Amino acid sequence: MGGSYEYYRPATIDEAMALMEGSGGNGVYIAGGTDVMVLIRQKKLAPACLISLRNIGELAYLETGGGLTVGSAVTHDEIAKNAFIQRSYSALADATKKVGSLQIRNVATMGGNICNAAPSADTACPLLVLDASARIAGKGGERVVPLDEFFLGPNKVALEKGEILKGFAMPAFGEGTGSAYIKHTRREAMDLPMLGVAARVTIRVEGSEVGCRDAMCTIDTISNILKRFEDEGLVCEDARIAMGVVAPRPMRAKKAEEALKGKVISEKLLGEIGEIAASEAQPRDSIRGEAWYRRDMIQVLTGRAILRAVDRVIRPDDVIWPQRLW
Amino acid sequence: MDGLKFVGQRIPKKDAPLKATGEALYIQDIKVPGMLYGKILYSKYPHARLLKVDAAKALALPGVKAVLTGADVPNNFKFGFLKDNPPLKSGKVLSTRDEVAAVAAISPEIAEQALSLIEVEYEELPGIFDPLEAMKEGAALIHEEFKSNVLKMPWKFVHGDVEAARKESAFIAEDSFSTQWVTHCCLGTSGCIASFDVGNNLTMYSNTQIPSLAQNDYLEALKTFGLKNRRVRIIQAVIGGGFGSKLDTYAYEYIAILLALRTRKPVKIVFTREEEFLATSPRQCTITKISQGCDKEGRLTFREIEMVLDNGAYTSWGATTPSVMMVPISSLYKVPNVKYTAKCVYTNNTYCQAFRGYGNPQATFAIESCLDQLAEKAGIDPLDIRRINANEPGEVTPQNFRITSCGMKDCIEEVNRRLGWKDKKGKTGDRGVGMASLIHVGGAARVYKSDGCGTIIKVDDNGKVDVITGSSEIGQGSDTIISQIVAEVLGVSIDDINVINNDTDVCPWDVGVHASRTTFVAGNSALGAAKKIKAQIMEIAAKNLGTEPEELEMRDGVIFSMKDKEKSIPLSKVLRKAHYTLGGRMLVAEHFYDPPNENFDQTFRGNLSVSYAYGAHGVEVEVDRQTGQVKILNYIAAHDVGKAINPMLLEGQIYGGGLQGIGYALGERMVYDKGYLKNGNFLDYKMPTVRDVPPVQAVIVESDERDGPFGAKGIGEPGLVPTAPAIANAVYDAVGVRIKDLPITPEKVLRALKEKAGERS
Ligand SMILES: Cc1cc2nc3c(=O)[nH]c(=O)nc-3n(C[C@H](O)[C@H](O)[C@H](O)COP(=O)(O)OP(=O)(O)OC[C@H]3O[C@@H](n4cnc5c(N)ncnc54)[C@H](O)[C@@H]3O)c2cc1C
Repeated sequence: MGGSYEYYRPATIDEAMALMEGSGGNGVYIAGGTDVMVLIRQKKLAPACLISLRNIGELAYLETGGGLTVGSAVTHDEIAKNAFIQRSYSALADATKKVGSLQIRNVATMGGNICNAAPSADTACPLLVLDASARIAGKGGERVVPLDEFFLGPNKVALEKGEILKGFAMPAFGEGTGSAYIKHTRREAMDLPMLGVAARVTIRVEGSEVGCRDAMCTIDTISNILKRFEDEGLVCEDARIAMGVVAPRPMRAKKAEEALKGKVISEKLLGEIGEIAASEAQPRDSIRGEAWYRRDMIQVLTGRAILRAVDRVIRPDDVIWPQRLW
Repeated sequence: MDGLKFVGQRIPKKDAPLKATGEALYIQDIKVPGMLYGKILYSKYPHARLLKVDAAKALALPGVKAVLTGADVPNNFKFGFLKDNPPLKSGKVLSTRDEVAAVAAISPEIAEQALSLIEVEYEELPGIFDPLEAMKEGAALIHEEFKSNVLKMPWKFVHGDVEAARKESAFIAEDSFSTQWVTHCCLGTSGCIASFDVGNNLTMYSNTQIPSLAQNDYLEALKTFGLKNRRVRIIQAVIGGGFGSKLDTYAYEYIAILLALRTRKPVKIVFTREEEFLATSPRQCTITKISQGCDKEGRLTFREIEMVLDNGAYTSWGATTPSVMMVPISSLYKVPNVKYTAKCVYTNNTYCQAFRGYGNPQATFAIESCLDQLAEKAGIDPLDIRRINANEPGEVTPQNFRITSCGMKDCIEEVNRRLGWKDKKGKTGDRGVGMASLIHVGGAARVYKSDGCGTIIKVDDNGKVDVITGSSEIGQGSDTIISQIVAEVLGVSIDDINVINNDTDVCPWDVGVHASRTTFVAGNSALGAAKKIKAQIMEIAAKNLGTEPEELEMRDGVIFSMKDKEKSIPLSKVLRKAHYTLGGRMLVAEHFYDPPNENFDQTFRGNLSVSYAYGAHGVEVEVDRQTGQVKILNYIAAHDVGKAINPMLLEGQIYGGGLQGIGYALGERMVYDKGYLKNGNFLDYKMPTVRDVPPVQAVIVESDERDGPFGAKGIGEPGLVPTAPAIANAVYDAVGVRIKDLPITPEKVLRALKEKAGERS
């Protein structure tokens, strides 16, 4: 009969890996269980045992000195509420804040989100633009894999059987860096993204005064705000763009990134960047959204995500957003 | 109506603590001794011949007590409005929700496993999934015996001379509109437990919203099964929402009965969420052609509507929705010439049923969208054209509705004022305003021979009052409303009133929770019974106090003389006097209220309802021109309710209805692809969440209905009737594109914007 399995609660990574080895290949790691339990109920997964990672202290770290390291068992809610992440790794806060519902965010982990590797995983794009790498514990010790190489395909990641994702490491970014993630959904909660776009930019302002700061605070048209950027020579020094639900796995829009680097941000440029990103995407028709719409949204939301990232540099402490940027 | 103590008060729902603490017993919670669990195997194909259904392996599984297939349905039993639906299919399956076999086992898991062991061989047949295709000459017949895919229910209403009026109209607007399948999404899924005693009398634990009619349906089934003259008792569990989904009997109920008969054990069938999506019946999708005209001053001259409804593979009561669609079609605004025809068409899709509003939202979407088009042609502000044509008290409409109270104009003015219509209408930018009005039955609806409801009141020794009513509590708050009415009439505390409403062995007859009728009909019934019991109480009290009954009043359970306050006696004492006296008596009163409304005649004329509910919704939206997303900034829902017996519950109905309407307008849709349901879960069926609730102002307009209990009219359904067209009109005002096919998805808005800009997508 389906639905019956052993449940283990190991206290260390080694113990967990030993249990997995003992399970004869039919064990499944479970963190928050918000993907695993759904799969079991849908009969897409019939494990012999579940090995819980929730009591393993080694997986529950969150350190902020010189970059950011986050254990795989840290929940979305903990990440979303962390003031340092909100400020310096904003894209990650944007994403975790909107996962499912509070009940989900309280138990679901970022490690689970990434290991499940759905094309729609909300934290994937932010981690990609934040240059995250995955720390993996295996029999032979620890190895580190850049996140871009960690995703292999839908629900497929670069974990060998029995390996455990320990956590993520992200570098410290210099002055003038901001990031953002936009989740495009049909409703405000309990929804997977129809499409997700994350951006990180490092900008340099020529001249000392940032006049466009005031522009951002006013309810003005985006064109007018961008005009100020152009006038003040707001140069994008470095850029990352990542997109979700547009390919079998979350992906970077590398051509768009290249096209953005070194340029003065303008409305025209953002339009072009959006178009390039859209051309890199391979969205499909599904009941969740039509391909043409997804492609159009990549174009629109790429520009918006970049703008929000820029805004976070210019107004790091401002919480008021001109509504139309949302 | 001053001095009311309970009526008009914001009294919390009586059952709220039970529900909030989890104490309420839903069908999911109920177990009876020896109970088995039933599960149903549904068809793999939308249209196929059943070549073989082999249950041998399933039967051999330990724990399985019975497996039934179509061959086990006695005497060709079929249920439904046209008796076209066997509870288990044989020969052919006609949709993916067709029941092919059913299992009873000692646990749900074993039952589930047994389903996978049933071997079914199908010969797949081409299906018809588009009602327009199904109507074509030579289309394959879904039910061969009916000779046509068009149901033999010729819905046609004609009043005046539409052709002549069309010629004389100064302006005419004409267009086509369509609506989608949506489902009720009750938190409590459907379920029942069928249990027979040795004499083959049936007890059914159920969450039906029509206990009396279901009782009748089951009796008929038992008769066909060869069990004549048995008793059927229905015990309702706490009902976790109905919205019309539980307004008809379903195959699973007959399957539970058949399994219980076969196994001689109680059998429980409770739907999973996936089954609830698949195997309950959604709102019918419609294709509507409409034209309306007006004269130079904007007065409506005619309205003509042709409609096609996808009936699905079988026929439920839902096939009568065109009769309720006629309410707005004939009588929303003053319109002298009307023509309406509707066809319900069999397809291999899911079959449709009742859903809050019963056709009215679909009809109102077309009427009110088209009215804005007409207003634009005539160069009249949409609000003004509604003012000009608004219904009024004293009017007799083309269907012979006799309008008593009517607060429609007040509702329109509330929208105007609260939305800031004149400042916002027609402005450039991305924001826009829109509105739409509604008419609905507000004083019951005589769709059956009787529209009645019975109430029995008995008072016990301790002065506590039991109100035994035929009407069901499905979350709308009827037990609270009934308590308020009885407490008001009697002069006892609301906490001393106990409403019993869930057992056909005890409760009087009622036609069911539908047509927004419960406050009106069950309320009037309770009112009548309360007056009768009060007279009895006063008579005994008078005897004991040595006064005349007329000079007595009761307050907080104490009866006193208004002339001499010294003369008083507690109700409990009156009761004890009645019970403890030699040759004593009981205090019991009954009242059956059947409203003086009329069945339709052959021409669909007749005063369907004793009174009519009105309302107007206004909405301000912002449209994101780049993404096509529509955001509701402000939502005004003004409703003429006669009198708010409980403003808090009433606002709940308006909020809930409004939000269900917003889901209908902007996102909810059952995606059927060639007969297969593609989004039967809450992840992909985009019901709005609490985070999606926009600012809604529920505005209560009181027009004091003379026939209503304390002046009240119905409000159960109206909240979602005008929502979709109000939003569609606002989107048009905002960005100049009109979405004529619900729901108004970002894709449709964006595509329309591109087309408008001359682009191609
Ligand atoms: C109602 C609901 C709403 C949701 N909404 C969203 C949403 O908005 N956005 C979104 O992206 N997702 C959403 N999800 C999906 C899910 O919540 C997330 O993917 C979540 O982050 C998974 O984390 P978890 O801890 O629950 O993972 P689990 O279910 O415990 O595990 C997921 C997978 O990862 C593996 N795994 C977990 N941790 C490790 C580890 N340390 N090492 C190796 N393997 C590991 C497990 O074996 C399993 O294969 C939703 C789910 C539900 C039920």
